[in-house]
Amino acid sequence: MNSTVISAPENPENPENRHERLIEARAAVNDILLGKDQQVSLAFCCLLARGHLLIEDVPGVGKTTLAHALARVIGSDYQRIQFTSDLLPADILGVSIYKREKDEFEFHPGPIFSQVILADEVNRATPKTQSALLEGMAEGQVTIENETHVLPSPFFVMATQNPLDLVGTYPLPDSQLDRFLLSFSLGYPDPTAERELLTTEDRAHVLDRTTSLLTPGDVKALQDDCEKVHVSENLLDYIQALLQETRDERWFETGLSPRAGLALLRASRALAFLDDRDFVTPEDVKTVFNGLARHRLSPTSGFSQSPDEQIQELLGQVPIP
Amino acid sequence: MNDPGRKTILWVIATLALAMLPQLVSMPLAVALIAVAPLAWRIGSERSGWKPLPALVRHGATIAGLAILFVSYGDLAGRRAAVSLLSVMLSLKMIECYRIRDARLVVSFSLFLCATQFLFGQGILMPVYGGVTVILALVTLTQLQRSEAWSHEGPAPAVRASITSEIGFSLRLLALAVPICMALFILFPRLANPLWGIPDTTLDSKTGLSDSMSPGSIQDLFMDDSPAFRVEFAGAIPSTDQLYWRGPVFWRFDGRTWEGSFYFKNIEATSVPDLSGNTWEYSVQLEPNERNWLFALDYPATTPPDTRLTLDYQLIRSQPVIQLTPYSIVSSPDFVDMPELTGPLRLQALDLPEGRNPRTQQLIRQWRRETPGDKAFIQRVLQHFNNEPFRYSLNAPFLGVHSVDDFLFDTRTGFCEHYASSFAVMMRMAGIPARIVTGYQGGWFNALGDYLLVRQSDAHAWTEVWLQGSGWTRVDPTAAVSPQRVESGSLSALGTPRHVLDYAWVRGVRNSVDIVQQRWNDWVIKYGAGQQARLFAPLGLGEMTPPMLVGVLAVAILVFSAVVFPIVMRIKGPSSKDPVQKTWQKFLKRLRLAGYRARPSDGAMELADSASRFLPAVSGPIHEIADLYNRSRYAMEPPPLAQFKQAVRVFRPNKNRA
Repeated sequence: MNSTVISAPENPENPENRHERLIEARAAVNDILLGKDQQVSLAFCCLLARGHLLIEDVPGVGKTTLAHALARVIGSDYQRIQFTSDLLPADILGVSIYKREKDEFEFHPGPIFSQVILADEVNRATPKTQSALLEGMAEGQVTIENETHVLPSPFFVMATQNPLDLVGTYPLPDSQLDRFLLSFSLGYPDPTAERELLTTEDRAHVLDRTTSLLTPGDVKALQDDCEKVHVSENLLDYIQALLQETRDERWFETGLSPRAGLALLRASRALAFLDDRDFVTPEDVKTVFNGLARHRLSPTSGFSQSPDEQIQELLGQVPIP
Repeated sequence: MNDPGRKTILWVIATLALAMLPQLVSMPLAVALIAVAPLAWRIGSERSGWKPLPALVRHGATIAGLAILFVSYGDLAGRRAAVSLLSVMLSLKMIECYRIRDARLVVSFSLFLCATQFLFGQGILMPVYGGVTVILALVTLTQLQRSEAWSHEGPAPAVRASITSEIGFSLRLLALAVPICMALFILFPRLANPLWGIPDTTLDSKTGLSDSMSPGSIQDLFMDDSPAFRVEFAGAIPSTDQLYWRGPVFWRFDGRTWEGSFYFKNIEATSVPDLSGNTWEYSVQLEPNERNWLFALDYPATTPPDTRLTLDYQLIRSQPVIQLTPYSIVSSPDFVDMPELTGPLRLQALDLPEGRNPRTQQLIRQWRRETPGDKAFIQRVLQHFNNEPFRYSLNAPFLGVHSVDDFLFDTRTGFCEHYASSFAVMMRMAGIPARIVTGYQGGWFNALGDYLLVRQSDAHAWTEVWLQGSGWTRVDPTAAVSPQRVESGSLSALGTPRHVLDYAWVRGVRNSVDIVQQRWNDWVIKYGAGQQARLFAPLGLGEMTPPMLVGVLAVAILVFSAVVFPIVMRIKGPSSKDPVQKTWQKFLKRLRLAGYRARPSDGAMELADSASRFLPAVSGPIHEIADLYNRSRYAMEPPPLAQFKQAVRVFRPNKNRA
C-alpha cells in the first residue's frame, strides 16, 4: 500500500463563496450516489463537525463510491484500507525501515496518513489493529517508536462494518464506537434511483469526471464556520430533554454520555450550516439524532424493536419545548 | 424540604392580612396590635432571615394574646370577640408556619375569617371584598401547590407566570364554583326564624331618628348620606310636598327636648283610614337602624306584620330593625286624624314648662289679642318666619335655657327642628294644641330603578296642630322660611356644601349608583324563607318544604358536577409561556380547529410539512409562520414579535380551505 503525506496547497482564491461550493459539492456527490440525499448530507455533516463516520451495510450498496466521491469533491487524497483478520497495526500506521546508505531508520507512513480514509469492514481486523486506527481518529496523531506523527487535516475516516457477517469478526466495543460521530446504513436504492443506476452510465465514469470543488483549506474554514452557528437556550433545553430521555431505563441499557451530547450539538450545528442557517432548530437535532445514537445505544433486553425503531419512538415521546 | 418558600409565605401573609383588615379596624387597639405583630415579625423574618422563635416565646405569645382578648372584651362569647380570637390565633400561627401544610391551613381559615364579615355587614361592598379575598387566597393556594409539587426536588423553579395569568386562573376556578354557590344560595333551606339568637345590634346599621328631639339631634343626621330606606310606589309618586315620611311623634316638651310619651306609644289608633278614597300604595325597604319605627306617608291604612299603629299614627315594630326590612303599606292622605280632641290629649298637647321663654310669651299674647282665629293666627306666625330675616342653616348657634326666645329674637338661624320646635311652642302658648312629628321629607327618585331613595340627610321635623274640623293638621314652618327645603330637598336648601365633596352632581351620581345597592338588597339580602318557599310557584308547584328543597338542590349539584367535572379536568394552570409560545399555541389551535392536530414532538418545519399536506391551500402561510417561529425561538437575532403575531393573526385555515 502506498502512502503520501499530503500538504495540499491552500487555496485562497474565492474564500467567500465556500459555502456555495460546499452545496455544489454535496450536489455532485448526490449525482454520483443516486437517491441517497439524506445519507450524503449526514456524511457532509460528519465531515464539517470534525467527526468520523460509521456505515453499517452489506457490500455493494455504494459505501466505497460515497467515500471516493466525497474525497474527490473536497479535493483530498483518499485511501481505502481493507481490514482483514491478518492486518497488523503497522499496515495502517506505517513502518520505519533501516536505510543502509543513510545508516538510519526512515519512517514510511501508512495509509492512515491521508485526509479521507475508507476503513472497509473494520470489524474483521483484530482488536489490536482496530485500536491502532481508532486511536489515530481520536488523537489526530499517531505515535510510532517514540515518535509522534501528526495526521493530516482535515482527517475524515469512514469505516464500514458488515452487520450480517458475524463469523470471524471482532465487533467494535461500545467505547470505540463512541469515536464515530455518526453512523447510518445506506440501504438499497429506491426503484427510481435503481433504474437510473441501471440505465445510465457507469458511476465510476461519473466519478472520474468529477473535479474537486473545495480544497482542504476550505474544509477547515467551513469546519470553523460551523462552530459559529447560534444555539439558543430553548434548543439546549431540547437537547437536554433528549439526553435525559435516553437515560430512562425503559428505553436503553445505558443512556447517552455527555460526550455524546456534545457530539449531538456539533452535528446539529453542522447540519444547520449545511442548510445555510445561522441557528440550530430542533429539526436539525432530530435529523442527526438517529445517526448519532443508533451505534451508541443498545435497547433494553426484552424489546423486539431495533435501535432505529426505538430511537424514532423516543423522538416521538419528547415534546419540543 | 416542604418549606413553602419565602415568596409564597409573603402571599400567605397578604391573604391573611386582607381577610383580617375589616376586623382590624373595629378591634380595640391592644387586640389590633397583637393581631398585627406576628405578621410584622414574620415579614421581617422573611426579609432579614431571622430564626424561628423558640417554643417558649410562641406559647407565651399565645397566652398573652388570649389574655389581652379576654381583658379587652370581658369574655370571648360575642361575635366581635370570637372573630377577634380567630384573627389573633391565625396571626399567631404565622410565627410557627414553616410547612406547606400549615400555610394551607392559614389560607383556608383566612377564607373562613373573610366569611365572618357577613355577620357584621351585608352591603354591596361585601361581596366585592369577599371576591377579592377569595381570588387572593386562590392565587396563594396555587403557589403553595406548586411549592409542594417540587418539595421533593428542592426549591420550586421560578414560574414565569404573570400575575394576570395567575389571577385569570383563579377567576376561572371561581367561575366554576359560581353555579354551585347560586344553587346553594337559592335552594339551601332557609329558616323563617334563625335557630340561634338574633344579635341585638347590627354593627353596620346607621342609627336613624332618635326617640327624642333636642336642638342639634337632626343636624347630625344631616351630615349622613347613607340610605334610610327605599320606596317603590305601585302607582304615581305623590308630589314632593306630600312626601312627609312620618316617624316618631313627640308631645312632651321640657323647654329643650321634645319626647314621645310611653302612654301614647302604647295606645292603639282608634280609627284607621278606609281604602275607599284616594290612596297611595307602596313598598318600603328599610335599612337597619336599630329603632322600632317604620316610616309611612300620612296616614297609614294598613299595618305591616309585627307592627302596631299608635294613636298618633306612628308605626312601631315589636323588634328593632336590625336587618333590611321590607314592608308594604297603603296610605290615605285625605283621612281626618282625630276630629274630636279629648281632654287628656288636649292637656298633653298644650303643656309647656313653667317660666320659660317670657319674651315669646309676651309676643304671642299680643298677637293672640290681635288675631283671635286659629287659622289666621297660624298664618300670622308663618308670615313672621317668612318676613323676618330668618335663615335656614346648618350652623345654628347654641341656644340657652329660653331656647325659643333666643331663637326667635336673637339667633334667627337654624333648620327644621328649630322652626318646628319654636312653632309648636308658640302654638301651645296661643292655646292651639300642637305636637312635633319627625321623619323624613322628600327623597330622590331614581328613574333607572323606578324607586324613591330617602337618605338620612332627608331627616326632617315638622309640626301638627289640632284644628276644629280638620283634626290634626300638618304645618311645616320650615317651608315658610325656606320653601326650597320641601320642594327640592334639604341639601339644595343649604347655600353652602357640607363638605369638600358635597356638590349637586356628586350627589346625583351617588343617588344614581344607589341602584346597585338597591338591586343587591332586592335580589340577595331580601331573599328569605318566604321567597324560597314560593320559588317554584310560577311553575305551579306551590310551597316548597325544606326536604323538597334539599332534593332539588342535590339534583342541581349532581347535574352541575356532571357538566363541570370534565371542564375542571381540562383546565390548565397559570401559563408561563412567553409571547412567542403563546402566539404559536394560537396558531396550533387554529390548525386544530381546521382539523389538523400537531404532535408535540414535531419541530416547526416538520409540522409545517405535514400540516401543508393536510391543508395544501394554506401551505405558504403555514411555512411562513413555522419559519418565523423557528427564527423567533432559536435564532440569534429573532424577527420582530409583531411580524410573527401578525402572521398568526391573519392565518385563517378554515376560510381558505373552503
